[in-house]
Amino acid sequence: MSSPMEIEAQLPNGNSTAATAINPPSKLGKLAESLKLEHQFLRVPFEHYKKMIRANHRAVEKEVSAIISGVSDFEDSNRSRDETVNQLNSLVSRLQGFKRKLEEESRTEQLQAQRCRARLDHLESAEVDNLPEWNSIRLKRILVDYMLRMSYYGTASKLAESSNIKQDLVDEDVFFEARKVIDALKKKEVAPALAWCADNKSRLKKSKSKFEFQLRLQEFIELVRAENNMQAISYARKYLAPWGATHMKELQRVMATLAFRSNTECVTYKVLFEAKQWDYLVDQFKQEFCKLYGMTLEPLLNIYLQAGLSALKTPFCYEDDCTKEDPLSQESFRKLALPLPYSKQHHSKLVCYITKELMDTENPPLVLPNGYVYSTKALEEMAKQNDGKITCPRTGFVCDYTDVVKAFIS
Amino acid sequence: MELNSIKDAFDRVTKKQKLSCSKSQEVIEQIGQEIEQALSRIQSGQDSASPSDHKLILNELKAKLKEIAPLSQLESTQKELNVALSKYPKLLEKSFNPDISKAYRNIDFDIHAVNQIIANHFYREGRFDLGDCFVDETKEPEAALMKSPFVEMFHILEAMKSRNLEPALNWAANNHEQLTQNGSDIELKLHRLQFVEILQNRGRDEALKYARAFLAPFATKHMAEIQKLMACLLWAGRLDSSPYAELLSSIHWDKLAEELTREFCNLIGQSYESPLSVTIAAGVQGLPTLLKLMNVMTGKKHEWQSMKQLPVPVDLDREFQFHSIFVCPVSRDQASEENPPMLLSCGHVLCKQSITKLSKNNSTRPFKCPYCPSEVEAGQCRQLYF
Repeated sequence: MSSPMEIEAQLPNGNSTAATAINPPSKLGKLAESLKLEHQFLRVPFEHYKKMIRANHRAVEKEVSAIISGVSDFEDSNRSRDETVNQLNSLVSRLQGFKRKLEEESRTEQLQAQRCRARLDHLESAEVDNLPEWNSIRLKRILVDYMLRMSYYGTASKLAESSNIKQDLVDEDVFFEARKVIDALKKKEVAPALAWCADNKSRLKKSKSKFEFQLRLQEFIELVRAENNMQAISYARKYLAPWGATHMKELQRVMATLAFRSNTECVTYKVLFEAKQWDYLVDQFKQEFCKLYGMTLEPLLNIYLQAGLSALKTPFCYEDDCTKEDPLSQESFRKLALPLPYSKQHHSKLVCYITKELMDTENPPLVLPNGYVYSTKALEEMAKQNDGKITCPRTGFVCDYTDVVKAFIS
Repeated sequence: MELNSIKDAFDRVTKKQKLSCSKSQEVIEQIGQEIEQALSRIQSGQDSASPSDHKLILNELKAKLKEIAPLSQLESTQKELNVALSKYPKLLEKSFNPDISKAYRNIDFDIHAVNQIIANHFYREGRFDLGDCFVDETKEPEAALMKSPFVEMFHILEAMKSRNLEPALNWAANNHEQLTQNGSDIELKLHRLQFVEILQNRGRDEALKYARAFLAPFATKHMAEIQKLMACLLWAGRLDSSPYAELLSSIHWDKLAEELTREFCNLIGQSYESPLSVTIAAGVQGLPTLLKLMNVMTGKKHEWQSMKQLPVPVDLDREFQFHSIFVCPVSRDQASEENPPMLLSCGHVLCKQSITKLSKNNSTRPFKCPYCPSEVEAGQCRQLYF
């Protein structure tokens, strides 16, 4: 595995003419690699689209069955002619109403399809030439994703709107569905969450989710807290028992709260009554929700931040004279990077202290008699302006340009 | 990016969706027609209105509906649609990285730090409305700490856009000492621009007055520059046809606005580029490598969570290179304070530990440089500071 990476890593440090020759395709290659990270960007609107299609289809099936059984029903019963005419008339108007609804649904389906296509077009539009603008939109998309997941809906919407990405490029509508459930859970109401579980029953079952069980457990706990013991027991019979086969341990633990009550000091059961269980449910819901839509479980922002910080982190970042241009000179970035690994280099990469430019074969490093190293460009310029005199900016040491020697970095 | 195959797959989905949609409509239409027909038949047979008649018609209607078999009609198009619907996400998974969180470390990512970074990002971009909204919504008033300096900066820049240098000059005067300490000559550049403005708009006398008051203090250091400006006085009123016409170019304004931003950020301890943009851009470049790494590290997930250094280099563009990293070509170790880079007398550079090894820890015993035929002595090697 290390061999292809080695080759990639060597490119910028290799022979400079070769490097410039390889540069454009490698830039393109990098772009293609970065676009491959955009799975969620295409997947989420598609899942939404799929969901719409499935729901509409179910509605059609239901309606058609209802009509057919409606016809058979009053064929069986003995009705007068007028009654039959009325019944048939009501069926006809019901069908017409449904047809209108169907047309409307089909329009929203098409809109969603357009959105999926807009995202494909957006990915396709990324080219080496327009990369700065494209990247800036990507950052905005990432920020909106973060805000939606963290329930900062106001700023998310404002940012999306002001950057013209609200319509097609962010998932505000999808999160709107989640918002209802989350807001309710925060108010300790489970009904919307349960309704969501019912809506997505088959998929949750497929992924072996136990979210519904957890909701039911919490409802049971609330009944115990209110000392509605009889009600709690009948609730458990109805809603918890079906989970017994797969989650007996948890079920038993929760049932034991009937004996311990909400004021128990026994740690095992005390935690079940704590308010943070509701926060836990919110987190759990977010996870299930993300899984269902094919989103990453972590906000995109956190993922990219971690990767970026690891790639940028060096021991020098934490020194006092770390350049301000390095994000890791900022306290908040340092804090985030603390538990992350340092980057690794296989080849020297030297940056001139004065010009901040890379020192390579084109701009080789020169050594002053005091051991300090600067780029040829910087020292040439300094010598030109000061009659061949060089002053070391870090130590104040003065020497002639003729005193410096070239260093060979391999 | 080559997205044609994905686009085709998506087109297939929408095609099937349209088909299924029109099929649904057709079926509903059919049912409606049958019912309406039955209805009109019942209604037209008004005079011979025996109950058995309309029953007969209803019976026929039921048989007809059964014959149409609407549900099974729907089924076949739906089946095709379902195939397309399940194929597309599979193609996406194949063509893209389906899980980019694979290399994510499950650590507590300090939300406050993240929010502070975001708020700062908005303020430094001049999006004060977004920044305020965000600080409000996250209930993190301390994240607005950097707001006021950036408000000042954008105030200066806005004024410059309407060719008003007053705020910029005030700022430069207030920070005169620090600016000179940093070796910046932005103050002179601002005065130069103001001088040209005055010369153009208010005439020679005013310009001369301005030069005496504000340019003179720079004479010791920037004589040549000031002489040039003084020569401009000769062309007062027709500077555009003088050898100094380029001083009028609006490029100077744009350039100076950029330089001011740079110096301003520097003075308040901030970078010129948004650190958030820089880190995310580095993350986008680095993540593919990390994901590849995770593919070969399966089964060693635990190790990854505690690793102190990445096991492979992550190749970033040179704009992300903020520090000099010296890697000893012999030992492949990164130089550190304990193991600094040393210059051999032939000009090649190795780390101290490698030199110790090569010289068998004898500072006067000559050894051959691994990169050229020279014989060198460890005692004559000099430590380098990059």
